[in-house]
Amino acid sequence: MSERAGGWVGAPVPLKEDARLVAGRGRFLDDLDRGRLLHAAMLRSPHAHARIVRVDASAAAAMPGVHAVLTGAQAAERSGPIRPLIPTTASVPDHCLAVDRVRYVGEPVAAVAAVDRATAEDALERIVVEYEPLPAVVDPEAAMRPGAPLLYPALGSNVVWHDAFTYGDVDGALARADGVLRERFVFQRYASTPLETFGAVAEYDPGTDAYEFWTNDQRPGLTISILAASLGVPQARVRLHCPDIGGAFGNKRRPAYLLTCALLARSANRPVKWVEDRIENLTALMHACNGIMDVELAYRADGTLLALSVRDVADEGKNLLTPTQHNLIKLGNLANGYRIPAVRYEAWSVLTNKCPSGANRGIGKPFMCFAMERAMTLLARRLGLDPADLRLRNYVTAAEMPYTTPPGAQYDSGDYPATLRRALERFDYAGWRAEQARARAEGRLLGIGIATSVEPAGTNLASYELVTGRRAASGSAEAAMVRVEPDGQVRASLGDPSSGQGYETVVAQIVADVLGVTPEAVSVARGFDSATTPWLYLSGNYSNKFSVTDVGAVVGAATRVRDKLLRIAAHRLEIDAADLELRDGAAVVRGAPDRRLPLGELARTAYADVLGLPPGEEPGLEAHHIHQNPLARPVDADRRVRSQLVFANAAHCCLVEIDPRTGRIALRRYVVVHDCGREINPLIVEGMVHGSTVHGIGAALLEEFRYDEGGQLLTSTFMDYLKPTALDVPAIEVDRLEHPSPVTPLGAKGVGEGGAIPGPAAVANAVEDALAHLGVVVRSLPITPEQVWRWLRSGTAGTA
Amino acid sequence: MKPAPFRYARPATAAEAVALLASAPGEAKLLAGGQSLMPLLNMRLARPAVLVDVNGLGELARIEPGPDGGLVVGALVRHSDLAASPLVRERAPLLAAAARHVGHTAIRNRGTLGGSLAHADPAAELPAAVLALDAAVGLLGPRGMRRVAAADFFRGLLSTALAADELLARVIVPAAPPGWGFAEMARRPGDFALAGVAVTLGARGHARIVGFGLADRPLRLRGAEALAAAAPRDPTMPARAGAAAGADCDPATDVHASAEYRRHLATVLTEDALREAVGRLGS
Amino acid sequence: MTTGLTPLERLRIRLAVNGAEVEREVEARLSLADFLRQDLGLTGTHVGCEHGVCGACTVLVDGRTARSCLLLAAQADGARVTTIEGLTPAEGLSPLQEAFRACHAMQCGFCTPGMIVASTELLAAAPAPSEAEVREALAGNLCMCTGYVNIVRAVLQAARAGAASPGR
Repeated sequence: MSERAGGWVGAPVPLKEDARLVAGRGRFLDDLDRGRLLHAAMLRSPHAHARIVRVDASAAAAMPGVHAVLTGAQAAERSGPIRPLIPTTASVPDHCLAVDRVRYVGEPVAAVAAVDRATAEDALERIVVEYEPLPAVVDPEAAMRPGAPLLYPALGSNVVWHDAFTYGDVDGALARADGVLRERFVFQRYASTPLETFGAVAEYDPGTDAYEFWTNDQRPGLTISILAASLGVPQARVRLHCPDIGGAFGNKRRPAYLLTCALLARSANRPVKWVEDRIENLTALMHACNGIMDVELAYRADGTLLALSVRDVADEGKNLLTPTQHNLIKLGNLANGYRIPAVRYEAWSVLTNKCPSGANRGIGKPFMCFAMERAMTLLARRLGLDPADLRLRNYVTAAEMPYTTPPGAQYDSGDYPATLRRALERFDYAGWRAEQARARAEGRLLGIGIATSVEPAGTNLASYELVTGRRAASGSAEAAMVRVEPDGQVRASLGDPSSGQGYETVVAQIVADVLGVTPEAVSVARGFDSATTPWLYLSGNYSNKFSVTDVGAVVGAATRVRDKLLRIAAHRLEIDAADLELRDGAAVVRGAPDRRLPLGELARTAYADVLGLPPGEEPGLEAHHIHQNPLARPVDADRRVRSQLVFANAAHCCLVEIDPRTGRIALRRYVVVHDCGREINPLIVEGMVHGSTVHGIGAALLEEFRYDEGGQLLTSTFMDYLKPTALDVPAIEVDRLEHPSPVTPLGAKGVGEGGAIPGPAAVANAVEDALAHLGVVVRSLPITPEQVWRWLRSGTAGTA
Repeated sequence: MKPAPFRYARPATAAEAVALLASAPGEAKLLAGGQSLMPLLNMRLARPAVLVDVNGLGELARIEPGPDGGLVVGALVRHSDLAASPLVRERAPLLAAAARHVGHTAIRNRGTLGGSLAHADPAAELPAAVLALDAAVGLLGPRGMRRVAAADFFRGLLSTALAADELLARVIVPAAPPGWGFAEMARRPGDFALAGVAVTLGARGHARIVGFGLADRPLRLRGAEALAAAAPRDPTMPARAGAAAGADCDPATDVHASAEYRRHLATVLTEDALREAVGRLGS
Repeated sequence: MTTGLTPLERLRIRLAVNGAEVEREVEARLSLADFLRQDLGLTGTHVGCEHGVCGACTVLVDGRTARSCLLLAAQADGARVTTIEGLTPAEGLSPLQEAFRACHAMQCGFCTPGMIVASTELLAAAPAPSEAEVREALAGNLCMCTGYVNIVRAVLQAARAGAASPGR
């Protein structure tokens, strides 16, 4: 590895992080200790909906070993409400603990800090809460009806947002079409559930009236802003660190918990740690929205798509902080990879007495893709076309790139037909179709499923204006710092904390190429520290933004440092900077490799012998850079916006076998061909494809948060909420195309969400294909063996 | 999720364990493998005042041949050891097979036969296997050891004949019939079964077909048994007995499966287990 | 250690952890996982569910895998416990760990110690496992990041390289 001259970007460099992680030497949130640390526990509502009549924590406060207790009323006195990210309605204060009402099972009502977690939990049992239960509403369509129990009576409705967007003559297209496919799809609640749960350590310094947090929150920029506002201190007096993070996938963001810890820490005058346990995580952190999508797909007899009209009800649970996120993402990606001239999207964002919704891997796109790819497969069947052929007929082609979809997304590059063709070839589609027919004759049920999708990356916060009516935030950006140290080694730092994506390695690769060193010579800071990491409000891990913004920040900072090194070297060698290049750890004259100045020598000039610098050049070898992707624009007059910025794409093809006696679904093969443009580290990319695809398989076959009519969560442990194990998934076979993005600094596109998006649709299509002779239509997930057995038994088309 | 406070005792002998139970009547629980009990403690769904750790009772961890060609298995034998024991595989292979299906390796390394029987989860494999083998359990109490047939031991949902002051000491397995079979269906390998069937089959008139996950306790599927006993070598028997099995049970609906589906699984799994058993009957 | 006929809320335990004798006083309800992490500072063993499903807390107890979230520290008195720290050499990485690293068999790393411990037990019992046997042995360890593909590859690679001895 060390002999390579440049070309680190694109190389499968083994990850620096892996050496410590494999030895158990990661430092995760719960590994951190502070002096005099206390441990918190949260008292949570047993009711889905209830008035809080009385909270008496005095017995808990009096227990030995208990150092602080916090009730909702106290939280409301001592802190401001949590500021919503997407304010949809008249402000309804949401504090870190429930004050007068609880609105989902598991909602935090009070908190205790004690000498250890067990004692804190003992103390919770001494807190007396008197509730007056209220009727709960659990089904989103029921929540929309007049007379439904209201989570916020002052709002007058559980619908916090309803709007419709029409691009092109949708009604005309529906009227003129040779046919319209109409289907209803239902998507369940599920979540990515990183193996490490969410948590925080909070410390308050009364001397400086300042707070310090350690947390695995994945959006530190936003969280600092929210905490400072709620705590009533300037942001400069809130410091936040992120250690190693054990997976995030969008789930790890809940400023309210940090606020609770801060208030306890202040009250106890000792640092307070809280880590959610798994039941708390599954019950109360966040679920991806479940919902209902009604799809109308207008087509010509030859299969050409004419229009798409979607009605989308998103069930947000109790979420007034980030509602409509899923809706907006679906709107931005609605056409998937297809050329559809007219698109309409009407959506509702509905509150129910369930766990708050939040970002999840793919956030909204798995559902959107499920609906679209299911509709395409059903349309193919209706028209007697092969499902691959129908798709190939309708893809946006490479020649049409860049292509703007009706809602305003701009597909930057890619060859969707070639991607699908490669997947079918790798899968041996023709061969397996023949095998499927032979197997059917023997009574064996094989099914082949195809699903394709675009995978957007980056976000443009201006899209929230579609919901809020004003532009409070826009674009997206990230910050990075690169510094050549006096010893000639390099240090780098990024405002986005890694949670398993290998940023320490990828950033080192990028910097190494720019500065002509090896990745081992570049130390990338672990995690995040607001005092030392470059960052801004928009910093963090969300919307698959790494390739779109973070890379640009790193390249920009490294380039500034490179240019300075070359200027210094040129001055010292008395030649033109254009005659120099950075290579093998030195500035080297092109064509005369013995004339070189190592980085350490240049650093000596920059740091120590500053009189040797070129005139006007400042000492030091450090640069910051903030990269804003130039594609982000405000919403236009026709309500179109690029809500996401750069588009990868993928085609999934999988094979299932159904046991006709038990309905068991065995996933026998799974092929993914993806195109994420330039791959910075193929090891990381392939790992992301594997992992994200298994997320999709889990959603298709296993995962579901189920509630009873009273709002009790029936699946609150890993015994009942089922995640895929090594025996539930085959080895995912991966192949790739590479169409670099013309609009990102290295041509890389997003890869973090990948398989989570088309995965559910691919598996659903395969199961339906296995049962096609029975006319089965898969309209919801997960698909269980019992459901398959029912279809087999009834022998007729049925809804899931 | 931390347990409520409790006091912990680790007796050196079975007699001490019994004495400890007697000293805290109704408030003490035995801790063997802990794979079922510890989650309940962690979730505070169980809150014993005293936990009696019997893992040190080596006298209860032996597998020995029984006088009649059967086996005596100590309550503390771990599932891993039960599955791997050459003696068990020879004399009661159904027991070894059932043990192999419990959870995953780490769970089998700690979980015990006695613990599984005493906990009596209706979806557990070992209670059904033990019933299918016509085994008996030895219960040690303040007044000594008493023997209870498996058929009388499992009384209901998580409920057995074990008294609060008793310890399940061993399982006495008579000589097993030559034919045996085991089939279960779970959402994922290693999960609790949605339903399962354990079978023993003799060449002449012996059949035990025991379902698990089909009732509040392991359930003999008697209609199926009658058909199997009447014509063990009839090639149509497994399908016929399977069909009867559906009517022999009245399973419940829960978050994982409906009653109807479980009833269907009873049919399919009975047929599968019987085919296996017939295959082992020999000529 | 036995407590005789007197149940205790706190007790003194003595055990071997990664080859070193350790003696501490613990609360009866303290789990082995919490004891290792908090009392001994061995934070390589992770807690992911506390109900025995996810496998992140897997350690070796007397040479066999066990979920340390389902064991009391008190129960480990007299036992020999091996954690990920005990499976890591003083310098560098074990062959099994090297294989994990070479195959990028982790992303966030939270499940990794449990995977290494479970793989160690597998390879000791089955030095040349098939892919199916590897998947079966690891089915009790959840990973939310990798989709298991690279983990399985790593174990098979380690097996081929002869990384079978436990504690190596």
